[in-house]
Amino acid sequence: MQPILALSGVRKSFGDAEIIRGVELELRAGERHAVIGPNGAGKSTVFHLISGHYAPTGGRIHFDGHDIQGASPQHINRLGLARSFQITNLFPKLSVYENLRIAVMRRHGVQHTLWRFIGGYAKVREETEQLMELVRLAGRRDASAGELSYSEQRSMEIGMALASDPKVILLDEPMAGMSHEETDYAVELIKTVTRGRSLLIVEHDMDVVFSLCDRISVLVYGQVIATGTPEEIRNNQKVKEAYLGEEAAA
Amino acid sequence: MENLIVSLLNGVIYGLLLFMVSAGLTLIFGMMGVLNFAHASFYMLGAYFAYALQGSLGFWGALLASPILVGLVGVVVEKYFLRRVHHHGHAHELLLTFGLSFIIAELIKLFFGNFPVDYRIPASMDFALFRLGDANYPAYRILMGSVAVVMFILVYLLLTRTRVGIVVRSAIYKPRMAEALGHNVPLVFMGVFGVGAALAGLAGAVAGAFYTTNPNMALELGVMVFVVVVVGGLGSMGGAMLASLLIGVITSLSVGVDYSLADILAWFGARAWAEQVGGLLTLKLSSISATIPFALMLLILMVRPSGLMGEKS
Amino acid sequence: MQSKLWIPLAVGVALLVALPALLSQSLVNAAIQMLIAALFACAFNLVCGQAGMLSFGHAAYFGVGTFATVHAMNAFNGAGLLPTPLMPLAGAVVGLLTGIAAGWFATQRTGTYFAMITLALAELMHALAPHLKGVFGGEAGISAMRMPAWGLGFGSSTEVYYLVLAWVLLSLALLYLFTLTPVGRLTLGLRENSQRLRFLGYDVHRLNVTVFAISAMFAGIAGGLQALNTESANYVLLESHVSAAVVLNSYIGGVTVFLGPALGAALMTFFGYAVSDLTRSWLLYQGVLFVLVMMFMPTGLAGFIRWVGTARRAHGTVALLPMLCAGLLAGLLLTAGTVFTVELLQRFFSQDYRAMAALNAGAGWAPIALFGRDWLPTAVATWAVPLGLWAVGAALVRATARLWHALQERAEPAETPTAQQGSAL
Repeated sequence: MQPILALSGVRKSFGDAEIIRGVELELRAGERHAVIGPNGAGKSTVFHLISGHYAPTGGRIHFDGHDIQGASPQHINRLGLARSFQITNLFPKLSVYENLRIAVMRRHGVQHTLWRFIGGYAKVREETEQLMELVRLAGRRDASAGELSYSEQRSMEIGMALASDPKVILLDEPMAGMSHEETDYAVELIKTVTRGRSLLIVEHDMDVVFSLCDRISVLVYGQVIATGTPEEIRNNQKVKEAYLGEEAAA
Repeated sequence: MENLIVSLLNGVIYGLLLFMVSAGLTLIFGMMGVLNFAHASFYMLGAYFAYALQGSLGFWGALLASPILVGLVGVVVEKYFLRRVHHHGHAHELLLTFGLSFIIAELIKLFFGNFPVDYRIPASMDFALFRLGDANYPAYRILMGSVAVVMFILVYLLLTRTRVGIVVRSAIYKPRMAEALGHNVPLVFMGVFGVGAALAGLAGAVAGAFYTTNPNMALELGVMVFVVVVVGGLGSMGGAMLASLLIGVITSLSVGVDYSLADILAWFGARAWAEQVGGLLTLKLSSISATIPFALMLLILMVRPSGLMGEKS
Repeated sequence: MQSKLWIPLAVGVALLVALPALLSQSLVNAAIQMLIAALFACAFNLVCGQAGMLSFGHAAYFGVGTFATVHAMNAFNGAGLLPTPLMPLAGAVVGLLTGIAAGWFATQRTGTYFAMITLALAELMHALAPHLKGVFGGEAGISAMRMPAWGLGFGSSTEVYYLVLAWVLLSLALLYLFTLTPVGRLTLGLRENSQRLRFLGYDVHRLNVTVFAISAMFAGIAGGLQALNTESANYVLLESHVSAAVVLNSYIGGVTVFLGPALGAALMTFFGYAVSDLTRSWLLYQGVLFVLVMMFMPTGLAGFIRWVGTARRAHGTVALLPMLCAGLLAGLLLTAGTVFTVELLQRFFSQDYRAMAALNAGAGWAPIALFGRDWLPTAVATWAVPLGLWAVGAALVRATARLWHALQERAEPAETPTAQQGSAL
């Protein structure tokens, strides 16, 4: 089976500094795949490369039958890949409802419509309401996105990524700042909405990773040093060294 | 042939003048991330201060005093205006400097009148330095170019060889880190802003005597400076120099070109038709030489949007 | 739109309709200018306040609208395909096309670059215009005549006023309805976070061009109305001060409220009309007002009105009144002091005064006539007036601030104008 998303030999330099130094990563269709690694390993950079924010300086990124390295973010999104952001990236002065509606609108092909009111699109309204319910923000419908609490904004990020009904979702530390209860809810939410989709998630919380994900890739200094099931990763020598240092792992 | 050299020389000197003003703008933008719309106003103030002071200080005294005054104005603008709106964002700062440039132009009209003033090069400098063919080349033009070159060298040395320069560059690159290391970053900002303003003022004091000094000169030069930074790439000194010289030379050379599109079409036998259509086709290049930089800007935007030497954003 | 706004809006429209019956001819003329400026400002705000793109060269689209309409007036002579009342359509079409072309270039960059490019494009047009006499008519410009159509002569100011009013109301309504369309909502997204829009699959450049073109179209309509009103077009309309004026007007009025720029433009045009005979320094005052607004009241007049409404709900009108009165008085005194100084200086440095002083070289400085009295420039009393006005004004400003703090401490904290979030329209 062809993986739905594949990175081969992907490199990225900023000036003289090579941040991503040859990444091999495969996301199988329908799987939930975590990317973990120490701080500064380049996890967000990998997401930026996949989603089109950066163009790689080397290697290929293959998504659902297309080569997407260097493609524009809008093109990649239209092919069916959506992402959330580690640093909250919403429309701050617009309401929660407006934020989600913008995310929902595109799939209904109304982005060039000048002759009808947005209020007239019942489907858009319904989907936005459903999305608000799903991320449990219906009660904050009219609040400005900029005024939300940090964890509420993280929920928004997840919602925005889901809105375009993507084949592949990239979630970048979606549960940072959430309480236990909120995290549990978010894990269940992610499990539900990713049925029939593929998920690539950056996470630090190992409980979440182990309960949510089928496979894990470990990124250290811009390279994937190990890929496997949670059990395999837990017992992997190289991973232990990377996290704990050579002596402690021995 | 001599005409060509004269045109080239004129173009280089005009380009150096443009660079004197756009260098300060580039420096300030690199440091504060804000485009100082009032920067060309500092240029205009330099000319007017020099004009006002030459009565009491003489031409050369005024030439020295004027940039210092303009520098002080720059410091006041940074400390009492820009700093106050810094937290509102770059667009806000840009608008504020826009408003200030408007006010400065109106104040100049208030004090000096809404017409050109008689700021001229002194008789002592009003001679030809050398002959090129049958053209006398004015010494004052060479002076303008020399001032620009000397200024460039001084600023370059200051920034790269002195301690002050290193602090300034670090404050530009990483202001918070520089502050953590104990440097007074707000003071650095104020100083760089003032020096940038003073440079523009010097350019005005020197150039205002040669070209006309009128309340419109800020806008005329200002637009050119903006074209320079778009073409060269904002934040790049090298780009600013390259673009300034390019624009200066092209503008100067095209003044001598009396050809139009109709002349080119004549090669294809379509001259009569072109002359009948008129309008853009019969426009001589020399008439619209002032608009060529804009065409260059549009070309750059199509082909290389980040500028000749700018970073890809 | 909130239902409580319907009533003041209806009253406003009714007043506008009744205007010619209530005011003199010259004031009706001023009102026409105000309406055109208001439409231009609202068209500008589509790009600036809603899409978040600072355009410093919007005069270009106003100007091409004027020229297109004047040419149409001459070509159609008021009848046939384009009767006089429909003339502004020529401005709309040419404005739209110019906006598409210019917008395509300008929106290749964002923020500061975009502003610079729009400025340069307008300057390019302004520099080319004198050379394209066929289109722009040279120094004298092009003139036309309003032809009778639809049973009306269009000779009187009143008829022109109603024509302009109809177009402006229609255009403002369309601009408002635009904000309710999908593209209109996305425009706000452009302002808030155009980068995120890309990641949500939108073609941001295309959106930018669309918004820019629509703004240019309505600016072209405003220009067309100008052509109908003045029956002429001149390339001075492409000058930078026209672009500058719409920026100043819009921010003074407040870009976060839909009708804010219209309010600012109407007020500034009115003041310009009213005081242009009394002072030569009107532009200076406008610039100072703009800088003061940017520094102390960034949401503009409309934002201030909205803030007063919020504060009233939080503290009650009675409690608010002393503070507002103090503030108003402070503003008046500071304005008076500034105007006095500027007018005095303007006359002191004027050519006439200097010529007179040169003639009477030995007699010292002659007194300056101002506000019905003579003031000696060298007398202390002369300068004591503005200084005194400023001192009292400054003291009142501090008193106003103290009153405000006292109010805030007594009740729940209400938002201040500077912190208030902008409208999501």
